[in-house]
Amino acid sequence: MIISHYMKHEHRLCDDYFAKAEEAASKKDWEEATKQFEIFAHETLQHFKKEEEVLFPAFEKQTGSTEGPTGVMKYEHEHVRGLIGKMAEAILDEDVDAYLSLAESMMILLQQHNMKEEQMLYAMCDRVLPVATKEETLEAMKQTEL
Amino acid sequence: MFSQKGLSLDQAPPISVVFRFFLQGASFGILGGVLLALYQNEIFDPASKGALVLTHVFTLGIMLSVMLAALFQMLPVIAGVKLTSPAKKANWVQYPLIAGILSLLLAFHFGKIAWLYLLASLLLGGSLLFISFEMIKKLLQVPNHTSSSKGITAALFSLAILVIAALYLTATLGGYSEGIHYVQIKTAHYSFGLFGWIAVLIISISFQVIEMFYVTPPYPNFANRYLSNGILFLLAAASILSFFLPDIWMICHLILALLLSIYAIITLKRLSKRKRPVSDATVWFWRLGLGSLIISMLCFALGLFVQTAWIHALAYLFFGAFALSIVFAMFYKIIPFLTWFHLSSQGYFTAPMMHEVIHPKTAKKHFWIHCSMMTAFIMSLIVPQLIVLASLLTVLSFGWMGYQIIHAHLLYVKTQKEGHKFSMNA
Ligand SMILES: [Fe+2]
Ligand SMILES: [Fe+2]
Repeated sequence: MIISHYMKHEHRLCDDYFAKAEEAASKKDWEEATKQFEIFAHETLQHFKKEEEVLFPAFEKQTGSTEGPTGVMKYEHEHVRGLIGKMAEAILDEDVDAYLSLAESMMILLQQHNMKEEQMLYAMCDRVLPVATKEETLEAMKQTEL
Repeated sequence: MFSQKGLSLDQAPPISVVFRFFLQGASFGILGGVLLALYQNEIFDPASKGALVLTHVFTLGIMLSVMLAALFQMLPVIAGVKLTSPAKKANWVQYPLIAGILSLLLAFHFGKIAWLYLLASLLLGGSLLFISFEMIKKLLQVPNHTSSSKGITAALFSLAILVIAALYLTATLGGYSEGIHYVQIKTAHYSFGLFGWIAVLIISISFQVIEMFYVTPPYPNFANRYLSNGILFLLAAASILSFFLPDIWMICHLILALLLSIYAIITLKRLSKRKRPVSDATVWFWRLGLGSLIISMLCFALGLFVQTAWIHALAYLFFGAFALSIVFAMFYKIIPFLTWFHLSSQGYFTAPMMHEVIHPKTAKKHFWIHCSMMTAFIMSLIVPQLIVLASLLTVLSFGWMGYQIIHAHLLYVKTQKEGHKFSMNA
């Protein structure tokens, strides 16, 4: 379960930064909100990169399909990327209502995405990838930077 | 193997399906408020026709409608189940369902009209058995079960069983059967309804959405894995044993009350540990609902030992408060999210944000209306005249809900007509 373990941990980390940014924004502490949101955005995009450039290709190679689950995940990443842009705008405009509203959509979108990965995709990766490949994949993900 | 589609448009049902079932629930809620003015305090006498009618307005008209809305929407997302032609299936279910509920209510009200019972049985039995088997069939094909999808399957089994039990009851009431086992079947019917269907469905959905909406630590494994099927097993065992040991229901109900209270406490604890400290109305709806569940189960357990009318009344009132609060908690997330999500997935960059569809303040106001309604109901046990206020507040509460649905729908249509769209496939 090394893939699940590592990736789940990253999801939780992103949740933490997200929650901190949201709390700061709700108190109109824009300096703190900006700081936390930047970390959240960076961590999330870096996590997506790990998935799209390392984990998904490894999974696709093993299962021989490029459509199906990984296609859906990438589609959802695009949606999240779009929202990150809009949230950044709301922070620049110091618009609490817009920020909290977007944050709400973002959380639902991201959580259901993460859940599908954790309950299905990562679990499948841990099951179908040979041990050596899993370790290589994990190492490669650790090296990936934005 | 894996749900082939994500939360993408071709897989989610048309938003109109969800809107329509929610609107159906709100309309029956308004009807319930009106009928309450008619029957008044009679509803607290479990043997009265008012109690029978109002209970079914609540369980069939309100709860079943919104639970179908939630199921049509959530099965693809949380269980990876794709219903083929959901809009068509929704039609097949919705019209017979409305006609069936109305004929059942009329049958209860007028008492001895055999053909009304027959009509209600055909319409409700047909539509509900059809949709529950349709959904169960799809769920059983899911290879990777989550605690939610397992629980939803258990809830749908309960629905099918309670409907079959109901057919026996209506056959007896309509004079088509002698009803030798009426008492046992009736107990099985409402036990499967309240515990197996309503409570298990809420529990299984909460396993997913509590973590998802509020970012909380996960549920402990024993709850996650065994609670839903455990409840179903208890109910099935008690139903069968009750033919030989009539007192078995008492033990079963006691265990169920304990299990549901534990569930409520566990969930309240998750909510208090949530990572997002911002607390909106839906968090309060959850808290109120879970608190009500605990009180309801306490009164329910107490009612097994003492035959005091008001304790039974409180058990039912608080169960209603539990179910309705959770419905509203879900409603205020689902409607804004879906409206935004469908439009933005269709490429409208003028898609209204969640807060523009329903502002959190609007949800907060509804929370207070809902609280006042509950208070009026409970106080009417002491001051009977207050039942009129409860009736008014019920109409207001569901009118409020109905207005939000219509408003969201109009906003949706308007954006589709006037909104600007990215051309995604250029
Ligand atoms: Fe992802
Ligand atoms: Fe991920």
